Amino acid sequence: MKKKIGSALVVGAGISGIRSALDLAEVGYHVTLIDKAPNLGGTLMQLDYQFPSDHCGMCRMLPLVERDRSSQYCLRKGLFHENIDILLSTELSAMEGEPGKFLVTLRQKPTMVDPERCIGCGECSRVCPAEAPDEFNAGLTRRKAIYLPVPHNIPNTYVVDMASCTLCGECEKVCPTNAIDFGVEVRRAFRILVVDDELVVRDSLKEWLEDEGFRVDTAESGTETLDKLREEAFNLVLLDIKMPGIDGVEVLKRTKEMRPDLPVVMMTAYATVETAVEAMKIGALEYLMKPFDPDTLVPLVVELHQKIERAGERQIEVGAVVLAAGFASFDPATGTNTYGYGVLPNVVTSVEFERGVSGSGPNQGRLLRPSDGKEVRRVAWLQCVGSRDPQHNADFCSSACCMFAIKEALLAKERSGGEAETTIFYMDMRTFGKNFQRYRDQAEKEQGVRFQRCRVHSVVDAGTDGDLAIRYADVAGELHEEVFDLVVLAAGQRPSKGTETLAEIAGLDLNPWGFCHPESFSLSRTAQEGILVGGSFSGLKDISESVIQASSAALTASSLIHAKGGSLAEVPPGQPEFRDVSREPPQVFVALCTCGDALTEVVNIEALEASLTDLNSVGPVQRIERVCTQEGWNELQEKLQDTKANRVLIGACMPYVYTKKLQELGGAVGLHPALMDVVDIRTAVFPGHDADKEQAGRDIRATIAMGVGKLKGKDPLPVPTTPVIQKALVVGGGIAGMTAALAIADHGFEVGLVEQADELGGNVRLLHRTLEGDSPQELLEKTISGVEKHPQIHVYKKARVIHSEGRVGRFITTIEKAEGAGETLEHGVAVLATGAHEAKTESYSYGQSEAIVTQHEFEQKLADGTLAPAGLGVVAMIQCVDSREEPRNYCSRICCASALKNALYLKEQNPEIQVYIFYRDIMAYGFMEAYYTRARQAGVLFIQYEVSEKPQVTVENGRPRISAIDPILGREIVLRPDLLVLSTGIVAGDQKKLALVPSTGVIPGDHKKLAEIFGVEVDEDGFFQEAESKWRPVDFLKEGIFTCGMAHSPRSIKESIAMAEAAAQRALRILSSEQVAAGGIVAEVRHSLCSLCEQCIAACPYGARWHDEEQEKILVDTLMCQGCGSCAAVCPNSASVLLGYRDQQMFEVIDDALEGAF
Amino acid sequence: MSAQQLDLTSQAYESAASDAMASIQEKIQACMQCGTCSGSCPNASAMDYTPRQLWRLAQLGQKDEIFNSKTFYLCSACYFCTLRCPRGLPLTETIGALKRIAAAEGIEMYKSSIQFYKSFMDTVRRYGRVREMEFMNRYFLAMKNPFLPFKFASLGLKLMGKGKVSLEMPKFFGKGRLDAMFRKVEELEAKR
Repeated sequence: MKKKIGSALVVGAGISGIRSALDLAEVGYHVTLIDKAPNLGGTLMQLDYQFPSDHCGMCRMLPLVERDRSSQYCLRKGLFHENIDILLSTELSAMEGEPGKFLVTLRQKPTMVDPERCIGCGECSRVCPAEAPDEFNAGLTRRKAIYLPVPHNIPNTYVVDMASCTLCGECEKVCPTNAIDFGVEVRRAFRILVVDDELVVRDSLKEWLEDEGFRVDTAESGTETLDKLREEAFNLVLLDIKMPGIDGVEVLKRTKEMRPDLPVVMMTAYATVETAVEAMKIGALEYLMKPFDPDTLVPLVVELHQKIERAGERQIEVGAVVLAAGFASFDPATGTNTYGYGVLPNVVTSVEFERGVSGSGPNQGRLLRPSDGKEVRRVAWLQCVGSRDPQHNADFCSSACCMFAIKEALLAKERSGGEAETTIFYMDMRTFGKNFQRYRDQAEKEQGVRFQRCRVHSVVDAGTDGDLAIRYADVAGELHEEVFDLVVLAAGQRPSKGTETLAEIAGLDLNPWGFCHPESFSLSRTAQEGILVGGSFSGLKDISESVIQASSAALTASSLIHAKGGSLAEVPPGQPEFRDVSREPPQVFVALCTCGDALTEVVNIEALEASLTDLNSVGPVQRIERVCTQEGWNELQEKLQDTKANRVLIGACMPYVYTKKLQELGGAVGLHPALMDVVDIRTAVFPGHDADKEQAGRDIRATIAMGVGKLKGKDPLPVPTTPVIQKALVVGGGIAGMTAALAIADHGFEVGLVEQADELGGNVRLLHRTLEGDSPQELLEKTISGVEKHPQIHVYKKARVIHSEGRVGRFITTIEKAEGAGETLEHGVAVLATGAHEAKTESYSYGQSEAIVTQHEFEQKLADGTLAPAGLGVVAMIQCVDSREEPRNYCSRICCASALKNALYLKEQNPEIQVYIFYRDIMAYGFMEAYYTRARQAGVLFIQYEVSEKPQVTVENGRPRISAIDPILGREIVLRPDLLVLSTGIVAGDQKKLALVPSTGVIPGDHKKLAEIFGVEVDEDGFFQEAESKWRPVDFLKEGIFTCGMAHSPRSIKESIAMAEAAAQRALRILSSEQVAAGGIVAEVRHSLCSLCEQCIAACPYGARWHDEEQEKILVDTLMCQGCGSCAAVCPNSASVLLGYRDQQMFEVIDDALEGAF
Repeated sequence: MSAQQLDLTSQAYESAASDAMASIQEKIQACMQCGTCSGSCPNASAMDYTPRQLWRLAQLGQKDEIFNSKTFYLCSACYFCTLRCPRGLPLTETIGALKRIAAAEGIEMYKSSIQFYKSFMDTVRRYGRVREMEFMNRYFLAMKNPFLPFKFASLGLKLMGKGKVSLEMPKFFGKGRLDAMFRKVEELEAKR
C-alpha cells in the first residue's frame, strides 16, 4: 500500500488534471483535485469521439497496477482513488507559503444539494419551473435550474444553478431525502444597504435582491447612509460613487473609520471607473459596473455573499500545486467578423457540432441541422476562426482544430452513410502529430473529404430555408460561391475564465495572449517553484500532448515533494487484516435498502425477504432505511458485525458508488472487500416507473439471487503481489534519456543509463539555437554534468543492450561494452529513449553541389563559421523533403520550426539576404505562429507547393537552380540561390535510410532490434509503438517499459523533455514500492486442461500471457492482466479462468436470472 | 494573366530600399496569402489580378506588372479587405499608396483616373462640395478629347432624368472656404 506524507493540489479536473492527480496518487502522495465546475472531465466530457479510433478510451488513464485502489469503470461517469480527494464546484482562492509547504485556501460554491443525501431520483428537476440553456449540450438543449451537470455522472447528484433559480422552493418540498436546502434563513439574516441617489436604481436593486431572499434597506444620500450605519448593523453596503452632497468615496472613508470590517462594494458608471479603482485602494471590496441587469448583478451579489460569509472555505497544506485549469473557446459572436454565428442558426461551433451528433446530445446521434431538423447533406468547416488572427489579438494557432475538423468531417460521413458532402476550408492543414498526415490522406482519398485551401471571409443567408452561402477565392484567384446546409466554425482557443485570477494568486506572468507560459525547455515548470502547469492551461493541446504534459507536471511536483521529505511512508505498508474464510461454507448477508418507503410501497417486502431467506447460503436478510446515508451505513455495519456471514450483498442503487465504501467496510469488519457486492434493485422501482408490483418483486428477487450466486463462488484468495526491483534502466543518452534518468534518480532510485556513442547528448549536440532564443548547448552541458555527477546514475558509454528477459518488476538485461566485459543488470522498469535522426536524401540534387545542404548541416556550418550570413545573397529552403508522402508519410514536426529559426537568424544577421521558403503547409502550431508572422514581416518569402508539383532543382555551374510554380500567380518562378537548404525530416528504423551521425560515429534510431529484445512494437515508420496514441502515449503495451523523445516520434527539445518526464513518472509509479499488487480480478490457467493452443495469447489485449516453453505452460502476468476475460472466452477447454467469474458461478447467475424472467 | 516566367534571382540583387516599392512591400510583407481579400473584394471579377495576386507581385517586387494592371485603380475603397484581413494589414491604404505613386509618376494607363480625381477635387475646392456639371466639364477639358463627352452622354442623360445632375449654378455657400485647407495640404505634401 502506497501512502506517503507528501501531498499536492491539482486545480482543474479535466483530463490533464485527472492525469496529474492519478500520477501523483499512484506514487503514493495525497492529492486534492478541485474543479470549479460541478462535474469532472472538463471539455472532454462533451466530446465523445477521438481521433484516430473515433471512440473514447478515457478509461485507459485509470491505474493498471494496484487498480483496486481506484474506480474501474468509465471515467466519464466519475472517478475515485484512495489517495485523491475530489472537490467539485471549488476554486483556489488564496495561496501562501513556500515550495514544499504551501497553504492553500479553497472555496466551495454551495450547490444547495447535499451530495450525501441526494439519490439522483430527479423529482426536483421534474417540478422545477425555471429553465436555462444546457451547457453540457453547448446550449443546444435546455435544462432546469436544478439539474444534472452531466447526465451520466456517478454519483448523479443534482445541483442548483443559482443564476436561473427563482427560489420558489418547489424542489425543496418534493425531495424525498431532504437533500435540498437553499439556506433561506441565512440569506434573510444577511442585510444589504443599497445607497444611490437615483430612485430607480434603489428600487430595482431592492426588488431583485429581495427576490433572492436577502434583506435590503436603501438610502438616498451619504448623510442618510452614515446615519443608518450608526444605528443598525449591516452585512454589505452597495454604494454609488457619484452622489450629490457627500460622494461615495467620502462615505466609504467614513464608513471604514466607523466600521472597518464592513464590506463595501462601489457602484460605478463607466466614466468613474478610475475613481472606483481608487476606492478599492482605500478599502472597497469590489466594484460593480452600471448599468445593471438582474441576470448579471444578482449572481455577483450572491457570490459576494458567499465570499463574505466565507461559506465553504477550507485551508489545506500541500507540497506543490499543479494548475490544469484548461482553456476557453473563442466566441465567434464577439469578433468583428462573426460569420453569422448567433444570427444564422445553422452556423455552429465545432463543439456544438460534436454535441449535435453525440449519442448523448439533442438528436440522439443523428446529423440534423438546428434550424429545421433537416438531415444535413452539405457541411463546411471554416478553420482558424479566432486563431492565426492578429486582428483578434490571436497571433497563435490553436493546434488542435485541424485534426478536430477532419475527425468531424469523417463523423459526418459516417452518420450520413457517406451521403454528406464535407468541405474543410483551411489555410495550412496542420497535421504535425504522429499519424496525423495519414489520417488526413485517408480522409481525403478514401472518404472523400474535400480540402479547400482558402480562408473564407463570411457566411451569408442563401435565402432559402436556412441554407448558407459562402463566397471565396480559390488559390488561383477564381471566385466561387457555394451553398451549404451547415457551417461549422473551428473556434480557436482563449485563456480559460479565471486564468488571470489564478495567475495572480500563484504569482505567475502570462504571455501576451493571456495564457500561462512555462519556463524555457519545459512544458510544465513555471517561474514559481512548486507551481506547475498542465494541459491546455498553457495553450490548447490534443489529448496525447495534454496527457504527456500533465504527467510531466506531476513528475516535477513529485520531485519537489520528494526533495522536501514527502516520500516518507505515512503508514507502515501492509494489508489490513482480513478474516480467513476459505474453509467456511459461504454465508451471504443480504441488506435491502428500502430507500425511505419507496421499496415497501412497490413490493411486498415481507414476501421478498422470505423468498430470499429461502435461497441457498443466504444468511440474515436485513432492511436498511437508506444505505447511502451515513446513518444507514452505520446501521449496516452494526448488523453485519452481529452475524457470522462471510459474504455481503447489498441491494441498493448505483453500485459504482460503493466501491470505496466497501473497502472501508471490509477494513472495519475484517472481511475482504472482494467478498462484498452491491446490486441495483432501485431502477426497477423508481418513482414514476409504472411498476407492475409482482414483476418488480420478481425482478428484485432475481437480481439479488444473481448477486448471491456470484458471491458464493468468490475465491477468498489474497490479491497477488509482485516484488519490484527498485532500479531502472534507461536506454539512450540523448536529452530524453538523460532527463528520464535524472528524474528517476532524483527520487532516490538507481538508474543504469546505456549510450551507444562515446559521449552523451544525442541530437542536441548538433543544435545551437532554438526558435525562442534559448541555448541548447547550455542545457546540454547542465544535463550531462547532472547525469555524470549523480551518485545514483551509472553511465555505460559505447555500450548497447544485447539481451533482456523478465517482466515488470524484474527484468534482467545484458549489455555489451566496447571496452571490458559485458554486464548484466537487474531492474524493475526500462525507458527506451533511443532517439532518431535527420534523414539523408538524394532528392533535389542533394550531393551534386556544395551549395545544397540539409537543415542540420546548415546550422552546423553557421555555428562553426564555414558559412557567414554576410556572404550570402539568396538562400532558399525546401520543406517536406521526402516527407508527408509514402513511404515516409508523416510530418517531422520540427523542420518548419528549424526553417523559421534559421531564416530569422539570417535576416537578423544580414537583413539584405533574400530568403525563400518552399513549403506545403507551415506547421507553426501553438505560439510558434508568432514566429511565422515575424518571419513574414522580416521579408522571408514563402512559396507554397503541392506534392504533385514539387520544385525542380538542377545544378548549373555548381550552383542550384530552382524552378517552381507560384500557385497564387500561377506562374513559373526561377531562382538561383547561393545556398539551398533541404528540410529532410526525421527518420528512425529503416536500416537503408540510416546514416552515421558525424560527431558520434554511431547509428541511432534502429529500434527494431531493441524492440525485439524487449518484446515491444515499432510502427510502420520504425518509431516505437506506444500502447495507445491518445491516453497512454509513453507506455508500451508491455507493462514496465516506457518510451520517450524522438524514438516515439519527431519532437522538439522541450517536447522531448516533457515526454521523458512523463515516462519517468509512469516508471516511478511502479518503482516507488517494494511490491505492487495486481487487481482482485485476474485470469489464471488450469494447466491440466490447457492444450497450449495459444489462442488466449492472441486474444489478450494487454500482452499479459506467454508460453513458457521450458515449463510447457501458458503463464499469466498478474500485474499486466486487467481482468477483461477475453482469454476465458476464447479458451476451447475452459482452461483459462477469470477469478470471480468461474463457469459454475456464471451458470448459477444465469439460472437465477432466468428464474426471474419466467 | 501572362504565363511569363519570373526570375527572382536577378532582381533580388537590385536594391529595393531606394525604390518606392519598398514602402509598399513593408505594408504587405506579413501577408500569408489566405485569400480573404480576394474573396471579399466586390470588384475582383473585373480585375486582371485579384488583390491577393497584387500583394504577391508586390512581395516579388514586380513593379512594372503592378502598374500595368488595372487592379488598384478599380479599387472602390470599400475597406472590406482591410476589415477582414486576419493579419490586420492596411490593404486599402496600400492601394491608396499605389494610386499616389501612379499619379506622381504619371503612369499612362492611370492618366484618366488622375484627371478624374483632380477635376473632382478642383470643384470641391471651389465650392466646398461637388458640382456635377462643372466637374464633368473640367474633366472633359483636362482630357483634351473632344469625343469623350459622347461616351458619357447616355449615362449623363439618365442621371439628369433622375435629377442627379443639376444644371443650375450652385449657391455659392461654400465658395473658397476649403481653399485654406487645400493650401495647407499642398504645403505639407511639398515638404515630404
